Amino acid sequence: GSGSREAVERLVREHPVVVFMKGSPAQPLCGFSNAVVQILRLHGVEDYRAHDVLQDPDLRQGIKNYSNWPTIPQVYLNGEFVGGCDILLQMHQNGDLVEELKKLGIRSALLDAEKDQEKK
Amino acid sequence: RSFTSQTDGESRLARVLREKFPRASAIKVVDISGGCGAMYEIHIESEEFREKRTVQQHQMVNQALSEEIKHMHGLRIFTSTPKP
Repeated sequence: GSGSREAVERLVREHPVVVFMKGSPAQPLCGFSNAVVQILRLHGVEDYRAHDVLQDPDLRQGIKNYSNWPTIPQVYLNGEFVGGCDILLQMHQNGDLVEELKKLGIRSALLDAEKDQEKK
Repeated sequence: RSFTSQTDGESRLARVLREKFPRASAIKVVDISGGCGAMYEIHIESEEFREKRTVQQHQMVNQALSEEIKHMHGLRIFTSTPKP
């Protein structure tokens, strides 16, 4: 089924940035899922895979089994579980997210924002 | 609510955390679902978290509360280590 270990493994490896959330990036259906979408947007990350667990109960349970993590949203970078909304927020605030994105070959938009600030 | 009153859920979770994290220097559990026991915020400071990545620290809390989490809609975890 869509919640099996193999199925989930395929999904988390599909793209450098994969998010399991409630709703979609265009229309998040939970405040915590929305927070993840907004943080990624701040960094200019708009090209990622998002899976709406509300559309698939098997996936909803399967992703929790896979990561041994009880809540949604879940963020995977390069196939590795990074955490939920609170951890992503912490990574955003302490600069770790910019570094992790750099490792994936993604340049955070915030770096360009900083450069613009310095020019002024 | 006064600072001294706690919901049953908050007390129970705090007790479980004290048992599972004997070296914790600070534990705070807050019901953020208006007292319904549906969502909690956990703050825990312990030497047991030192040198561990945040996601690992959170996993330790998840494991400790695995039974209780089954009955929740969500939880937020904030872990830290004491200043050396």
